Amino acid sequence: MKKLLTGAAALAIAATLAPAGFAGSHKAYTIGVSNTVQGNGWREQMICAMRAQALVEGDVSNLIVAHRNTDSAGQLEDINNLIEAGVDAIVLNPSNPDALNSALESAMAQDIVVVAVDAGVTAEGAYVLSNNQEEYAYLGAKWLFEQLGGSGDVVYMRGIAGVSADTDRDNGFKRALEEYPGINVVHEVFTGWQQDQGKQQMFDFLATGIPFDGVWTSGIDNVIVDAFVESGAPLVPIVGADNAGFVQYLSEVEGLEGAAVTNPGSVGGAGIALAVDILNGEAPDSQTVLVDPVLWENTTEEGQATIAAAQNPNLDPEWPVSVTVPGWTDYTMEQIIACEGPGEG
Amino acid sequence: MSAFVRKHGWTLGLALLLLALTVVTRLIQPTFGVNGFESLARAALPFAFATAGMAVVVIVGGIDLSVASMMAVTGVLAAVLMERMAGVPALVIVLAAGLVMGLINGALIVLTRVPDIVVTLAMLFVWEGTALLILETPGGATADWLEASIRGFFPVEGIPKALLIIGGAIGVVWLPIRRSKLGLSIYATGSDERAAFRSGVAVGRTKIAAYGLCGLFCAMGGLSLAALTGIGEPVPGPYLLASVAAVVLGGVVLGGGKGGLLGPLIAVFILRIIRTILTLMAIDPNVTTIVEGTIMVAVVMLGTWATTRGARR
Repeated sequence: MKKLLTGAAALAIAATLAPAGFAGSHKAYTIGVSNTVQGNGWREQMICAMRAQALVEGDVSNLIVAHRNTDSAGQLEDINNLIEAGVDAIVLNPSNPDALNSALESAMAQDIVVVAVDAGVTAEGAYVLSNNQEEYAYLGAKWLFEQLGGSGDVVYMRGIAGVSADTDRDNGFKRALEEYPGINVVHEVFTGWQQDQGKQQMFDFLATGIPFDGVWTSGIDNVIVDAFVESGAPLVPIVGADNAGFVQYLSEVEGLEGAAVTNPGSVGGAGIALAVDILNGEAPDSQTVLVDPVLWENTTEEGQATIAAAQNPNLDPEWPVSVTVPGWTDYTMEQIIACEGPGEG
Repeated sequence: MSAFVRKHGWTLGLALLLLALTVVTRLIQPTFGVNGFESLARAALPFAFATAGMAVVVIVGGIDLSVASMMAVTGVLAAVLMERMAGVPALVIVLAAGLVMGLINGALIVLTRVPDIVVTLAMLFVWEGTALLILETPGGATADWLEASIRGFFPVEGIPKALLIIGGAIGVVWLPIRRSKLGLSIYATGSDERAAFRSGVAVGRTKIAAYGLCGLFCAMGGLSLAALTGIGEPVPGPYLLASVAAVVLGGVVLGGGKGGLLGPLIAVFILRIIRTILTLMAIDPNVTTIVEGTIMVAVVMLGTWATTRGARR
């Protein structure tokens, strides 16, 4: 037993010392990443964007990724572990804006740069870089309601109850709803951001026979089209996100009118770029950086051209099609698909 | 001495393993010290209480799949109440709510005679919905003293408050019960329900009490979640499977009647420190869960092998 442990210890030391190496003239930052949803296309793209961006940033020698399905208490644990690992910066997708403050404050007290991507945190001194979620929902809902001529029944498919991105989107959706009094929400449901669950829910609702004129869905979209096609129901206008599978459907499925609103997971890469800028003394003026969404629809020729330009057959169908954030990320399409970061073992 | 070692061999082995893992952590990250230990103890808080609750019901011969959901209910209840009223009465209400939820679980199992696993699976969804009814989105607030109570050291640098709370809260509830008639009944029921019944143990009441205890520990877990995050979260965390894992690793036999609470609690720390080590070593996160699972199975297998070999001698 003792021998086994000594062996394990020796192995462990070897494994940690090996990648440290010599970083040459570059600065050698270690960046920690914390994320609490695993196995979701958007989050996987975010992680890959972080790795790819860390790889092309010359100053990052090591990236430690804590990436698992957990709650806020688990994310606190991960952040505290990253602090123990001696990172220079922490880039996180926060599970909640308020819950992580104790760990984030203790990180900043030790001069660790904190950048939250995708959603905000309230800890004083932390930087926030995110997609504007309220605008995301508003933009898509407004397009849908106009498409229906300002009156009709819509199905409203949300994400996870109680998650702040879902709450922000709900606010945006409700803002559009107020502007179009003729629109009525005939069915509201939470997909849990799960493909299979969302598809089943659409099957179930189609089976009730209740008529409706449009669908607004929070990022679970290509399977919703599948549900229509497989059950033989006539297609109605559908608004989803820029997931590769859905964008492909917008250009291929006969009779489908719809729009994709961009919500790039590559904000993760932008977060790494921002963290390196701050470490190099080039902090932005504002603590909060918002990336505004864009809407791609297939009902005009101009829109169809945009959709055609964005597609890449090598992308995972559940990934957002917008793989880069202009002005922030520097990696290539191949690098984000390869999903390899510096110093990971 | 040797009788003591034989009786508590598994727990001693776990303690040695924890010590060894601490040494490994120090070797990997020489700066890992009392502060690292303190944040480890804090991270262990919700897992420790979930595990204590699960251990009690496993000892009585059952299982409770609703632990994480009960923690979510009590966590949001604490955050909602503490926003509106004084901390101490809120604390008492939350603990009582946990106890009542556990008693309901137990009563349903005993009265309906539906298997534990089915009843508590159903209650998992019931309590999950209840948590969302209390608080639809994460929010609320906790008393400042509650957050302060788990941070830092007491009475001297090096002993984390979180560790004292785990030891104190579980000790105060469990030790007197274990030495009482109820404790004996819990072990007797878990070891052989029919024999216990024939020896005059009120099997039904014992089971209900064990589930009540589990609910009480879950309330403590919910309170520690609220204390850690400062808010209440209605979506249950990953505490169900983690608690089963710690209970098994801690030497409690699934099926009941054997084991204590100290082993599972040490197992909680072992599982937490393994995660710390994997983070320090920057292991690919997709590999991390495989490593965690493999280590667990290996330890249980090694332990069982050592125990059977020791018994044969």
